Amino acid sequence: MSERELTYGEAVKEAIAEEMRRDPRVFLIGEDVAEAGHPFKTLVGLVQEFGTERIIDTPISEPGYAGIGVGAAMTGMRPVVDVMFGDFITLTMDQMVNQAAKAHYMSGGKIKVPIVFRTTLGATRRSAAQHSQSLHAWVSHIPGLKVALPSGPYEAKGLMKTAIRDDSPVVIFEDKMMYRVKGPVPEGDYTIPFGVAEIKRAGRDITIVATSSMVPISLGAAKLLEDIGISAEVIDPRTTWPLDKQTLIDSARKTSRALVVDEGYERYGVTAEIASVIADGAFYHLDAPVKRLGAMDVPVPFSPVLEDLTVPSEKTVFEAARALCRR
Amino acid sequence: MPTNVIMPALELAQETGKVLRWMKAPGDTVRKGEPIVEIETDKVTVEIEAPASGILRDVTAREGDIVPVGQTIAVIATTTESPAPAGTPDSRGSRSSSLSPPGRGQGEGTDVADGKVKASPLARRIAEEHGVDLTRIRTATGKIEKADVLAYVEGLQPAGNGGPGRLVPASPKARRLATERGIDLRALKGSGPGGAVLAIDVPERILAVGATEPLTTGPLTTTPLTLPSPQRGEGGSGAARRGEGKGVGTVWRIMAERMTASWTSAPHFYLVREVNVARLRSWLEAARKQTGARITYTDLLIKLVAATLVQHPRVNVSWRDGALETHAEINVGLAVAIEDGLVVPVIHRADTLGLKDIAARREDVVARAQAGRLRSADIQGGVFTISNLGMFGVDAFSAIVNPPQAAILAVGRIADRVVPVAGQPAVQPTMVLTLSCDHRALDGARGARFLGALADLIEEPLTLLA
Repeated sequence: MSERELTYGEAVKEAIAEEMRRDPRVFLIGEDVAEAGHPFKTLVGLVQEFGTERIIDTPISEPGYAGIGVGAAMTGMRPVVDVMFGDFITLTMDQMVNQAAKAHYMSGGKIKVPIVFRTTLGATRRSAAQHSQSLHAWVSHIPGLKVALPSGPYEAKGLMKTAIRDDSPVVIFEDKMMYRVKGPVPEGDYTIPFGVAEIKRAGRDITIVATSSMVPISLGAAKLLEDIGISAEVIDPRTTWPLDKQTLIDSARKTSRALVVDEGYERYGVTAEIASVIADGAFYHLDAPVKRLGAMDVPVPFSPVLEDLTVPSEKTVFEAARALCRR
Repeated sequence: MPTNVIMPALELAQETGKVLRWMKAPGDTVRKGEPIVEIETDKVTVEIEAPASGILRDVTAREGDIVPVGQTIAVIATTTESPAPAGTPDSRGSRSSSLSPPGRGQGEGTDVADGKVKASPLARRIAEEHGVDLTRIRTATGKIEKADVLAYVEGLQPAGNGGPGRLVPASPKARRLATERGIDLRALKGSGPGGAVLAIDVPERILAVGATEPLTTGPLTTTPLTLPSPQRGEGGSGAARRGEGKGVGTVWRIMAERMTASWTSAPHFYLVREVNVARLRSWLEAARKQTGARITYTDLLIKLVAATLVQHPRVNVSWRDGALETHAEINVGLAVAIEDGLVVPVIHRADTLGLKDIAARREDVVARAQAGRLRSADIQGGVFTISNLGMFGVDAFSAIVNPPQAAILAVGRIADRVVPVAGQPAVQPTMVLTLSCDHRALDGARGARFLGALADLIEEPLTLLA
């Protein structure tokens, strides 16, 4: 294993570049992805290597280029469709939900749609209500879509490569606040299987299931918990679908308590689904109700002070876990 | 808001309590904290204090009644309150009203004579089927109908404190652990929200002996838990309650049940040894002089038994569910005869106490036992029992093991007997000790070694100091 470190953004780019080198059917399409190298600068240099035929800038029309992507996938290409902000998937929903997710099933398996929708989640970037949402629950709800949530640079590369090679439509949500976070990323080829959770930290007293941006937050909270004698196990499901239910259930059975943390809206959110899976599978081993922490039931405020309050933080995760452990 | 007076759960496994005596009558003004009723449980008699100030009303439990814990036995109305509106059959609105029998009810003495109750024939039949006393039902019209009786019956049902249909608040894990360990959740005190039982509240084993542990289910207080299951079915509480009616007190009933359980399930064997107590006698005199306390032979025996148990931890055990359970603490029980039978208050951690403390504790618990004022903690956690009938002139006897303990020491009188000393007959004070053992927990050799060590200490107590 290499000790080389990359930023989250570099890891994404490396994954796409490696896959594009490996497979000529892979191309990337979206707004400001070519010459601009993406507004988050995650794709800088790709157009120089692969040219404008494979790194394609489009007009500002998400439904349009999402449709191009789905059509290309149906006809044998492996497109990566870039949706700059997760908030904009509202515009691509028909292509994702009614076309990409359904075609394989409605064609009796004759049509495959090996498309990747690459988009973002995460608040606290001071981007206001229309650019700060974490809407991965929307697509996690849809049969036929797979949803990946990389929680660090290593995952960003591994999950992206798996997504591109998968024959099903995959929506991958990157945490826009993590693009400059560095971490070890092996050189060369590796993939991370979908539907396999990772135990980020082993513990005895409480299971914290955290997704994406909430993984580092929860690991920080676990350190604070350790100081007061609570041993927290932090688990990253890595994909909300397929969901590694067994790992979550086994952990909750072991610790007897579970807290689910996700940056999406709490109500009807990813936390609800995961909490339900745990409550169902670990019921007779639970010593407390399964607790959820997500974004508040408000449009994300522009005011930095208020914005920071709407999403889980190390402190709120710590407090919730401590309360569950009755310390 | 009227305040309910509820039959309290004073012990872990207590399911019912007996109303001994009302110290206040319906209509009396009571002050919060003032004793209003005397309750007898399996082992203790306590005065229950008024939970609020006001006027005592709706006394539904008569003296002598046995009432499930949690059931409302009276209501204290604030002085400004008129009695509960006569006639609402059962206002389902408030939770407390579902616990207490609905309607007003003026208590004893003011009940309408049965003949005067206006009830429909159907209501009468339903009341009879459910054993409901129609005079306790109040309605707006004064006439009782089917719905009134059914509402009354429903109002009574939850009163069983976790009886059928009402779950004891507990986490799923605690519920599962309790089932696996054969523990009745209702016997546990929950530390969770709203008193919910959490996993941590469920004892590791049924008998986690340790007097400081509030969850400890002591041997005598937990009859339903410690009796082997065959004892529970037929002879259950119904039969026991019938016995109650014939004048057998609770203490006696419990004694009978427990001794039957021990005698029929624990294979007993007995080890007898005569010990010379000449030196014990000198020790007693010296100790009395030194401490100025009224130290007795029993106190010395408690001290010596505790010391011997320290040397022989293998005797400090219980046989439970096919396994030996060892106990960390040395809590010596003392059989005390009281008017109504036998109780065994416990001298906790006797090995750590000096003679003076043992004597003080013994005096305290014996006095309170005889007054029927033992607290549950006093009788919990015992691991070994001493039963001394010497004062009745008994030379020796064989006691029944006090389950789930492994052994009981029966102590006979001290008498001058002829014994050989250095080849010559001599007159010496001796007493006969009989150690009864549960053969599932102890074998002959282990019991004999324990008794031998105890005899050595009695014959040469100074070795304690060594």
